Amino acid sequence: MSEAAKTPYKPPVPELGPGQTSYTSITEKISGIVLTRNTPVAWFIFFAIGFLLLHGLMVGVPYLLFEGVGIWGLNNPVGWGWAIINFVWWIGIGHAGTLISAVLLLFRQKWRTSINRAAEAMTIFAVLCAMQFPLLHTGRPWLACYWLLPYPNSMDIWPQFRSPLIWDVFAVSTYLTVSLVFWFVGLVPDFASMRDRTKNRIGQVIYGMLSLGWRGSAIHWERYEMASLLLAGLSTPLVLSVHSVVSFDFAVALIPGWHTTIFPPYFVAGAIYAGFAMVLTLMIPMRMIYGLEDFINERHLNNMAKVMLASGMIVAYGYFMEQLIAWYSASTYEGFMMQNRMHGPYSAYYFFLILCNIVVPQLLWIRYFRTNMFWLFFVCQFINVGMWLERFIIVVTSLHRDFMPSSWDMFHPTIWDITIYVGTIGLFTVLFFLFIRGVPMISLHEIRTLLVSKDHK
Amino acid sequence: MNDSIYEESTALHPYLDTLQQRALIVGVLGIIATIVGYFTAHEQFFRSYLLAFTFWIGLPLGSIGILMIHHVGGGTWAFSIRRLLEAGSRTLPLMFFLSLPILFLGMHELYEWTHLEVVAHDDILLHKAPYLNESFFIIRTFFYFAVWGILAFFLNRWSLQQDKTTETYPTHRLQIISGPGIVLFFLTVTMASIDWLMSLEPHWFSTIFGVIYIVGMGLMTWGFMYLVALPLSRRKPLDWLITEQRLRDLGTFMLACVMLWAYTSFSQLLIIWSANLPEEITWFITRLEGGWQYIGYGMVLFHFAVPFLFLISSTMKSKTKLLSFLAIGLIFMRLVDLYWIIAPAFTKVPAEHGPSFHSTGITLHWLDLAIPIGIGGILISLFFSQLKKRILIAQNDPRFTDLFDSDKNHG
Repeated sequence: MSEAAKTPYKPPVPELGPGQTSYTSITEKISGIVLTRNTPVAWFIFFAIGFLLLHGLMVGVPYLLFEGVGIWGLNNPVGWGWAIINFVWWIGIGHAGTLISAVLLLFRQKWRTSINRAAEAMTIFAVLCAMQFPLLHTGRPWLACYWLLPYPNSMDIWPQFRSPLIWDVFAVSTYLTVSLVFWFVGLVPDFASMRDRTKNRIGQVIYGMLSLGWRGSAIHWERYEMASLLLAGLSTPLVLSVHSVVSFDFAVALIPGWHTTIFPPYFVAGAIYAGFAMVLTLMIPMRMIYGLEDFINERHLNNMAKVMLASGMIVAYGYFMEQLIAWYSASTYEGFMMQNRMHGPYSAYYFFLILCNIVVPQLLWIRYFRTNMFWLFFVCQFINVGMWLERFIIVVTSLHRDFMPSSWDMFHPTIWDITIYVGTIGLFTVLFFLFIRGVPMISLHEIRTLLVSKDHK
Repeated sequence: MNDSIYEESTALHPYLDTLQQRALIVGVLGIIATIVGYFTAHEQFFRSYLLAFTFWIGLPLGSIGILMIHHVGGGTWAFSIRRLLEAGSRTLPLMFFLSLPILFLGMHELYEWTHLEVVAHDDILLHKAPYLNESFFIIRTFFYFAVWGILAFFLNRWSLQQDKTTETYPTHRLQIISGPGIVLFFLTVTMASIDWLMSLEPHWFSTIFGVIYIVGMGLMTWGFMYLVALPLSRRKPLDWLITEQRLRDLGTFMLACVMLWAYTSFSQLLIIWSANLPEEITWFITRLEGGWQYIGYGMVLFHFAVPFLFLISSTMKSKTKLLSFLAIGLIFMRLVDLYWIIAPAFTKVPAEHGPSFHSTGITLHWLDLAIPIGIGGILISLFFSQLKKRILIAQNDPRFTDLFDSDKNHG
C-alpha cells in the first residue's frame, strides 16, 4: 500500500493550551476579563448593536399589545406564523447548553469545562427569548397565567390537558428553572473567587451575596459535587423531553408535514445542531476578543464541529425518512404535501434549507474545516439560518395549502413580525454581553482541575 | 506485554471451548426441532423463523454499530470489550446464510405484497409495487449484507493490523471508515427494518420505526456483551481491564437503550394514537386487543419500568448478579417485542371488503421459542469460536495507551 494511505493517527491536543501553567495564571486571565476597567472596544460595539436591536422589542411589543396579533402576517390557513417559528428556533438553540453541561458531564468529557458556563448562559437567554413568543401570541399576556397554568377556580375551567401546548408550559418552565439553578450552583464557587479578588466595595458586596457564604471548605466542595451530579442527572432527560414536547405541538395534529412519528428525535437532534452552531457563533468571536486561545483551542472546535456533524446527519435522516415515507405511505395528502414543499411556491426556501442544513455542513467531514475558525464560523451561519428555515418550512408549507383548496393562501410576514424577531436577537445579545462583563465566562474552578490532571502526567 | 497477553488468551481457550460446545449442543437440538417444525407446522414455520432471524441479527449488527461509535467517539469503556464486539461482528456471515430461507422459501408465506393477485386489486400496494416486489426485495437484502459485510471486514482487518505494528495508521483508518460507516449503517438497517418487519402489514407506515429497531439491537448487544464480559472480568487477561467501573458503564449503556426504546416507542404510540388516522392506528388496534394488549402492558413493565428502576441506581448497577439477570431479562424482552410486532400481523380477522385490522386473538407456537433457541445456540457457539481466534486485548492502539496512562494516574 502506498505511503500516502498510511496517515498516522493524530492524537487530540490537550484541553488546556501551553500558556496556562498555574492556578494563578488561569484565575488572573479569566477573572481579569470581569475585574478590569479596560473593556475592549469590541464589547461596546457588540453591546451597542444588541441594544439597538433590542428596541425592536421595545417598539414592537407595545404596539402588538395595543393593536393585537393582527399586526402579524397571520391569516386563515396559516394561523401559526413567525411566533411559533421563533419560539422553536430559540428553544432549540438552548439545548446545546444543557447537552454540554449535563450530558457531557455524565460522559466525563473534560473538554466541556471551558465552554459550559457560556453555553449554559446562552441556554437561559435563549429560553427567555423563546418564552416571549407564546406569551405574546396570546394577545393579552397578563391573562396567560389564567389560560395556561392549571389551577382550580370557581368556574371549574381547566386547561385542555390533552393539548401539547399545555405540556409546553410545563416543559419550558421546568427547563428554565433547572437550567437556572444548575447555572447558579456552578457559579457559586466562582462568585466567591470574584468576591475575594475584587477591590471594589460594591463588587465585594454583590459577589459576596451571590456566593452565599462560600468558603471553599471540604464539606462545601463535597456538597457542591453532589448537587452538580444530581442537577446533571435532572437536566439530562430535559435535553430530550423539552424539544420532544415542542415536536408534539406539531406531530399530534393530523396535518401532513406535521404528523409523523420521527418528529421527537428529529427535533431533538435539530435542537442540538442549532445550539452548537450558536455556541460556536458566540465563542469564536469571544476567543478573538479576549484572547482565549489557551482555553478554547483546536480540540474544542473540532469536538463541537463533530457533535454538529453528527446531529446534522440525524436531521438529514429525519428529512430522508419524511421523503421516503411520504412516498411509501401512498397517502394522497402526504404525497401532496411533499410535492408542494419541493415544487410549490415555497420550493426555493426548501432547497435553500437543504443547502444550509445538509449540503454545506458536509464540509465538516474534513478536519481542516472543523478546526479553521473562519470556515467553522461560516458553516455555523448556514446552520443558524437553515434551522430557522426548517421551522418556517414545517409551519408554513404544511398550513398554507390545507385540506380545502378554497382556503389556500400565501403567508407574508409583516414588518412587525420582523421587528419583534430582531428585537429578541437584540435581547439575547444584550444579555449575553452583560453576562460576559459581570460573570467569569469560563468556569474558574472547573478549568483548574484540568491543570491537576496535566501535572500528573 | 504482547506475549503474556497471548499466553493468557490461549489459556482461556478451554473455558471458551466449554461455552462453545454447550451453545452448540443447545443450537443443534433447537435446529432439529426447527427442521421437525418445518415439516409439521409449515404455515407457522416462517413466522417464527422471521422472529428468530430479526432477533438474532441484532447481535452482529449491534456489534458493528457499537464498534464504529467506539472508533469515532473514543471512550474507555470500549477497549475492554472491543475484541468481544469484533467477534460479534464476525457472526454476520451466518446470519446472511440464515436470510436465504426467507428470501427463497418463505417470502410468499410472510409478505402479502408478494401475491400479485392481491396487489392487482389494491391501489396502495400497486403504488408501492416499484419498491415492494420480490426481486427488488432480494437485491436489497443482498445489498444490506454487502454493506454490513464490508464494514465488518475492515473493522476486523485493520484492528488486527494494528496488533502487529506500532505505527498508528490502522487506527486512523478505523476512524476514517467509521464516520461514513455509521451513516450507511443507519440507512441500511432502517431500510432493512422496513423491508423485513414494517412490510408485513404493507399498508402501515411509521417514520420512527427504524430507530426503534436500531435501539433494540443496541440494547440486546449491550446485554449480551455484559453477560460475556462478566465471567471474563474474573479471568486473565481481561481481569484488569474489565473493572467494576467498566461493568457499571455497560449497565449505563443498557439504561440508555432502555430509556431510548421507551422514548421512541412511546412517541410512536402517542403520535399515532392522538391523530387516530385509519391508515396508522389499525396497526395498534391489532396489537391492543385479543390478548395482545397484555404483552404490550408487559413490555411497559419489563422492557421499561422494572429495568429502568434497577439501572438508575448506581448501587444496584454494581451488583453483578442482579445485572446479569437484568441483561438476560432484557434480551428476552427484545424477543417479546419483536414477537409483538410480527405475530399479530398473522392473526387478522378475514374481511370481505377492504383491509382488516381486528385480531382473532393471541397465538403462541412452540416454534416461536424453538427456532430462536436453535439459531441462538449456533450463533453463540460461532461467537465463542471467533472470540478464540484473536488475543483478547487489542494492541498498539494509541488512544488506548493514552487512556490507560491517565487511568493509572487517577488510581
